[in-house]
Amino acid sequence: MPVFDRQFWLILLASVLLGLCGVALAVLGNPQNSGICISCFLENSAGALGLHGNERMQYLRPELIGFVLGALASALAGREFRSRGGSAPMLRLLSGVFLMVGCAVFIGCPIKLFLRLTAGDLTALSGLAGLLAGVWTGLKGLAAGVGFARAEKQGGAAGVWIPLFFLLGLAALFVRPAFLHFSTRGSGAEHAPLLISLGAGLLLGVLAQRSRFCVTGSLRDTFLMGRRNPLLWGLVVFVLTATAANLATGNFHPGLYGQPGAHLEFFWSLLGMYLVGWLSVLIGGCPFRQLIKAGEGDADAGLVVIGMLLGSAVVQAWGLAATAAGVPLYGKVAVLAGLAFVSFNTLSGRRAEA
Amino acid sequence: MKLSDRFDLFHLLMLALALGGALVLGFSGSGSSAVVTGTSRQLEQDLAYRARIAFLRDVYAPVEELMTQGRDQQALLKLAEIARRYPGEGYGLLLRGRILHRLGAVEQAAAAYAEAVRKNPDFVDAQAPLSARQEIAALLETELQPVRQRAVGQGKSPSARRALSDLRYLQSRLAGGCE
Repeated sequence: MPVFDRQFWLILLASVLLGLCGVALAVLGNPQNSGICISCFLENSAGALGLHGNERMQYLRPELIGFVLGALASALAGREFRSRGGSAPMLRLLSGVFLMVGCAVFIGCPIKLFLRLTAGDLTALSGLAGLLAGVWTGLKGLAAGVGFARAEKQGGAAGVWIPLFFLLGLAALFVRPAFLHFSTRGSGAEHAPLLISLGAGLLLGVLAQRSRFCVTGSLRDTFLMGRRNPLLWGLVVFVLTATAANLATGNFHPGLYGQPGAHLEFFWSLLGMYLVGWLSVLIGGCPFRQLIKAGEGDADAGLVVIGMLLGSAVVQAWGLAATAAGVPLYGKVAVLAGLAFVSFNTLSGRRAEA
Repeated sequence: MKLSDRFDLFHLLMLALALGGALVLGFSGSGSSAVVTGTSRQLEQDLAYRARIAFLRDVYAPVEELMTQGRDQQALLKLAEIARRYPGEGYGLLLRGRILHRLGAVEQAAAAYAEAVRKNPDFVDAQAPLSARQEIAALLETELQPVRQRAVGQGKSPSARRALSDLRYLQSRLAGGCE
């Protein structure tokens, strides 16, 4: 265990704060078990921008803005902001869409998966199994030579646009222009105070950029490096912190039934997260990591973010997202379409590599 | 930045004018047709929601009156009559669940409540005008355990199993979370 490594301590700090904020934001008003959930927040934000019509899911989440702008500030301060990109744009865009399909069928991103587990939601175990299997499958693909090429430094300002878009989002949050929608009921209306959400987002954005912490990255590196992987310890600390915080705030209710934002279709939870894990390995990080990378000037991650926003709108507008009642038929079809998409790209990617 | 020629100067001027214009228009917030349209959209959304609530209260007023008088059977007949005109309306299902629960038909009441909430999750929101959160919580409090025993105990009853699934759905909805 690399105890004295600065990076290691940064990862631990980021993990502790992720666990604390993940629980605290829910206590302060965010939906239960959704103190931090990239997919839920993107669905809310897509609704706020008028991209779907679910009136219960419309709120421009300040946490998302904070993640990107925090990463931008940190990258600028550390002279790490580099405009880069140019690798498999269409595949990344569509990967973003299918990432949201997988998350919507499970009801949550990988961070929320762990937040659900640490609150005692045992239905999330199937999602965890799916995520692990997906990451493992993705790694097998990487080992076989499949993978999107690395982003290269680009001329011009390709990497500036996503941070700029989120900067405009920040202005919109305070100006509240008339084209934005804000839910007055449902989970979109549940939110922590704006400045606290924004502050937590900025702080986590800075730390995630510095530490490179990522849930699927932790699992991927653990498969590769075992206990020597510092991200594994980050993940462990995140889980322990969130569990302790849930216990301390009375939000720990172990069981299968009556869990917030959960359903009992375990097979589809597993497949949804399998898709998320597999795609995350191929595109180099989970939805949270894509936001952080987009803030650092990575235009490829920026395209994934745009794809995720589009996917968030689609899952709500087309009724693909699961609810406590279960997974809708076309949600299941969409997950299978996502698996077909990633399988086809793996096959064609390997062929191109050969 | 070095301004080497008129080309650069022209584009810099264009950038400054475009940004300045966008900022002035964006922050002035008046006189723009887009703003007017946007306002209307939010207003339309709120109006439609309130109009829907008022309409439902109006349509189901006779049912609620019968329920107040304790004439539950007539209320069920009236609900069936309204359902022929507005099939699949969630509020009707909610009232049906309320009546059936009062009549002691727990399994049917659970089915009606669950169907109502599936159609309109507002019914479990604490602040919603037609919220039935408290009565659903009361139903869960008293009936979940007995229904579970009938569903998984000796002589498993298929109807109790369905009711258990409905009650668990309602339980999850009451717990909150994203949807």
